[in-house]
Amino acid sequence: MSIIELENINFQYKGSRDGSLRDVNIKIEEGQTVLLCGASGSGKTSIIRLINGLIPHYYSGELEGEVTVDGHDIKKTELHELAGTVGTVFQNPRSQFFSVDTDGEIVFGPENIGLEPKEIKARMNDVVAEMNLEEILGRSIFDLSGGQKQRIACASVAALLPKIILLDEPSSNLDFDSIELLRGIITEWKRQGKTIIISEHRLWYLKDAVDHVFYIENGQIAKEWSGEEFTSLNEDEVKSYKLRPIVLEEELIRQIRGDCESSVCEIKDAIELQNFYFSYKKKPYLLLKKRFKESDGDLLNLNISELRIPKGKVIGLVGPNGTGKSTFLRCLCGLERDCKGRIVSDGVTYKGRQRLKLCYMVMQDVNHQLFTDSVRSEVMLSMKEDDEERCDELLKMLGLTEHKDTHPMALSGGQKQRVAIASALASDAHVLLFDEPTSGLDYSHMEKVAELLQRLASSGASVIVSTHDPELISECCDYVLGLNHGKVVYLKENRKER
Amino acid sequence: MKLDPRTKLFMILVVSLIVMMSATTPFLWAIRLSITLIPIVLLILEKKYASALRFLLAYSTALVLTFFFLSAESEGIVASLLIGYCGIVVQFMPALITAWYVVRTTKIGEFMSCMQKMHIPDGIAVSLAVVMRFFPTIKEEYSSINDAMRMRGVMLGGGNVLKMVEFRMIPLLFSCVNIGEELSAAAITRGLGGEVKRSSVVELKLGIADYILMTFLAAATVIFVVFKYFL
Amino acid sequence: MENKSNKLKAKDFITIGIFTAILFAVEFAFGMLGYIHPFIVASYVVILPLASGIPMMLFYTKVEKFGMITIVSVLLAIIMFIGGMGYLGAPLIIISGLVADLIAKSGKYKSFKKTVLSFGVFNLWICANYFPILITADAYRQDLIDGGYSAEYVENLFLAINVKTIGILVVLAFAFGCLGAVIGKAAVKKHFEKAGIV
Repeated sequence: MSIIELENINFQYKGSRDGSLRDVNIKIEEGQTVLLCGASGSGKTSIIRLINGLIPHYYSGELEGEVTVDGHDIKKTELHELAGTVGTVFQNPRSQFFSVDTDGEIVFGPENIGLEPKEIKARMNDVVAEMNLEEILGRSIFDLSGGQKQRIACASVAALLPKIILLDEPSSNLDFDSIELLRGIITEWKRQGKTIIISEHRLWYLKDAVDHVFYIENGQIAKEWSGEEFTSLNEDEVKSYKLRPIVLEEELIRQIRGDCESSVCEIKDAIELQNFYFSYKKKPYLLLKKRFKESDGDLLNLNISELRIPKGKVIGLVGPNGTGKSTFLRCLCGLERDCKGRIVSDGVTYKGRQRLKLCYMVMQDVNHQLFTDSVRSEVMLSMKEDDEERCDELLKMLGLTEHKDTHPMALSGGQKQRVAIASALASDAHVLLFDEPTSGLDYSHMEKVAELLQRLASSGASVIVSTHDPELISECCDYVLGLNHGKVVYLKENRKER
Repeated sequence: MKLDPRTKLFMILVVSLIVMMSATTPFLWAIRLSITLIPIVLLILEKKYASALRFLLAYSTALVLTFFFLSAESEGIVASLLIGYCGIVVQFMPALITAWYVVRTTKIGEFMSCMQKMHIPDGIAVSLAVVMRFFPTIKEEYSSINDAMRMRGVMLGGGNVLKMVEFRMIPLLFSCVNIGEELSAAAITRGLGGEVKRSSVVELKLGIADYILMTFLAAATVIFVVFKYFL
Repeated sequence: MENKSNKLKAKDFITIGIFTAILFAVEFAFGMLGYIHPFIVASYVVILPLASGIPMMLFYTKVEKFGMITIVSVLLAIIMFIGGMGYLGAPLIIISGLVADLIAKSGKYKSFKKTVLSFGVFNLWICANYFPILITADAYRQDLIDGGYSAEYVENLFLAINVKTIGILVVLAFAFGCLGAVIGKAAVKKHFEKAGIV
C-alpha cells in the first residue's frame, strides 16, 4: 500500500477560490521524493496541507474525497496525533518558531509528544550532528539569518523522526549558499529513506533528488513526470509550462554569489553616491553622534566612498546574505540616520532626510508599508496634493484600476507590491529600491515584475533591486552590482535575454 | 552563572514586594539598593554589560537627582517633569531590571518546565510563553512599519492623531495576525495541544547559588518588613 | 474553525498570548506618559481603553470561546505583578476579566451590544491598579513622599485618585471602554472585515 493516498479530492477554501483542488488523485510510495510544481495559487500548498492535516482541521473549507497518510484517515485524525508521522517545514522562517532560542526549538516537538528527556537529548544530538548545527546552537532566533532559521526549522521537524517530511516552498527566502545547504539536508533525508514532498518554484536544486513530479494547474494534476523525464526536459518545454529553469548556468551562479572579478565600469549618465559608510557593530557614542569613516575599515558593514549609478537603468544588487545588500538600500534611502552619505543627481545634492524624498524602497515584506483602507487612498497618501488624474493614470499603468476601492490587504502578494510601486511613483521618487521583490514568486509573476522594473527604468527612474534570483537578473537587469563585506566588488553591464 | 527559573521567579516576587513598600529610612534604602544591585550583578555575570551599564546609569542618575537636587518642595514645570521621571525610575526600575534579567536569560523551554513543576495548566503556560516570545516580534514588526512611515513621510499622520495611531496599529495587527496563524500551524503540526502530558528536556535543579540567593532575598524581605512596620 | 468545540485549544492559547502581548505593548507605550503628571495617571481610564480598543475588538472576533478574556486578565495580572505594580489589584483584574468574559459569552461573542458592554467591564482592570492608592492611602502617601516623590506630585495624585473620585474613575473607565469598543469595532470593520481577514 502507498504511504500517502489522495483519492478523488475536491476542495475549496471558505470564501476563496484560490488554491482549490479538483479531482486530485495522488499515490506516493514510501521513500519517494516528490516535487509539486506549478503557478502560485494552483493548489500546491493545499495538497501539502491535506497531507499534514491542516486541511480540514485548521483551515476550513469544503472537502470531498479520502486522504490516507500512513494508515491514518486524515479526516478522523487529530493534528497532534500526526506529529510523529508527518513533519512540515514552512515557507516563512520568521513565523514558524515557538521558542526564542535554537536549542529549545529543536526539542519543542519531542517535548510536546511527551518523550523522555533522555530520548529527546539523544535525538537532538543526532540531528545537530547530521545537519552541522553546532555553530548555531544556543543562539537567539532573532539573531539568525533566513538560511540559518530554515535549517533550525528542518532540525526541529527531524527531531520528531517523522516518516514523511513536507516542505512548502522552503527556499523562498534563502540565498544561494543556504539553498545548497537545504539541498544537503534533503539528500540526507532521502538517504534515510524518508518520504519527502516538496512544493517549490525554484527547481534547480532539486533536480537530482526528485523521483516523481506533479505539475499542478488550476487545482488539477495536469502533468506527471518521473524524475528522469523531468530532468531531461529541455529549456523550451520548461518555459512552456511557465516553470523556472531546472538547470542554472554556471555564470549566473557565479554572478549571484558575487563571485566575479573586481571591476567597475565607466558610467556616463549617472547618479553619484558619496561617502556611504555605516556600521552596526560600532555604535555611535552615547551623546555625540559618531561619524563613520573609511578608516573604520573592517568594522564597517557598508564602505563605499564613491559610486556612480546609471540613470534610467535596472541595476541588480547581488552578493551572499549578510554582505550588506539590505544595509546598502537602507542607507541609500536614508533610513539609517547615522549614515551620512550624499547623493548627487542632476547637480543637486541630497543628504540626510532629503534622501528619503529622492528614494523609495519597496520592502521585502510589503505588508509593512500599506496603511490605508483602499488602493486609491494608498496612492493619494503619497501625494503632496491630491491629484485624481495622476492617481488614475498610475493605477492604470500598474493594472490596478479594477481594484481601486479594494483594501490593499485583500490583494495578492504581487498586487500589493504594485500598490507599493504606485505609491512610490506618486511620491515622485527618482530612485526606486527593491528588496528581494521576487523571492517566492513563480515564473510568470517573476516575469511580470521583471517587465515592470524595465518599464520603470525606461521612464527615467534608476531602479536598484537586491536579489538572489538568477532568473530575474537575466530577465531585466541592465547592470549588476556585486557587493562583498560592504564594498563594491564590481559593477558591470549585463547581457539580457531580451 | 545559571540560576533556576524558580529562583528567578522568587526574585521577581521579592523585588516587586520591596518596591511596593517604599523605603523610608537610610537602612531601608540600603536594603532596597542591594536588592536592586542583585539583578545588575547577575546581568554582568551573564555578560550583558551594555544593559547592565545602562540600567546602572539610569538608576543612579535618578537617585542622585532625587536626593540632591529635588526636594519635597520643588515646584515648577521642569522640576515636576523631572520628578515624574525620577519617580518612575526610582520606584519601578528595580522591578524592571529584574524582569528584564529574567526575560532575557530564561529560555522558553526552561520557563515551560518551571511552569510544569509549579502545576500551572499547560494552556496558561503556552499563552505566557507566547507573550514572552512575541515582544521581540512586535518590536521587529513595529520598527519595519516605522521605517515605512518615515519613507512615506506619514510619521505624524498629517497632523491627525487618529491617523497616527491607525497607521501604526493596523499594519502591526495585520502582521501579528498573520504571524500568529503561521506560528500556531507550525506549533500544532509539531504536536502542541495533544492529550499527552508535555515533557521537558530541561531538568530543573536548585543549586547552591539558588539556595544562597533565595535565603538572602527572603532574609532581606523579612528584615525590610520588620524594620519598616514593627520598629 | 471546523471544530465547533467550546474548549480552548492550542491555537487559541497562542492567539491569546499574541493579543496579550500586543495589549501590553500598547499599554506600556501610553502608560509611560503617566509619569509626566499625576493627572495623566488618572486619565489612563480614558487613554488606555481608547488605545486598546482596536486590538481587543479584533481579538474578540478571533477566539470566541469562554475563557479567552479571563486568561488575558490573568496574564495581565501576572505581567503587572512582574512589572512591580504589586498584587493587591490582581484579584480585581481577574474578576473584571471574568465578568467581561461572562457578558461576552452571554452574547455568544457575536452580539454587538454585549461585546461593547463586555469591553467596558474589562477596562475596570485599569482601576484595579489604583487599588493600593485607596486602601493604604495614608501610608502610601507618606511612602511616596519619603520615597522621593515631591509633595506636589503626591498631592496631585491623591487629588486625582481618592475614595471620592474612584467612583467617577470607574464610571469613566467603563464609559470609555464602551466608546473604545465602538471605535475598535469600526476600525475592525473598516480594515479587517474589508480585507476579508475576519
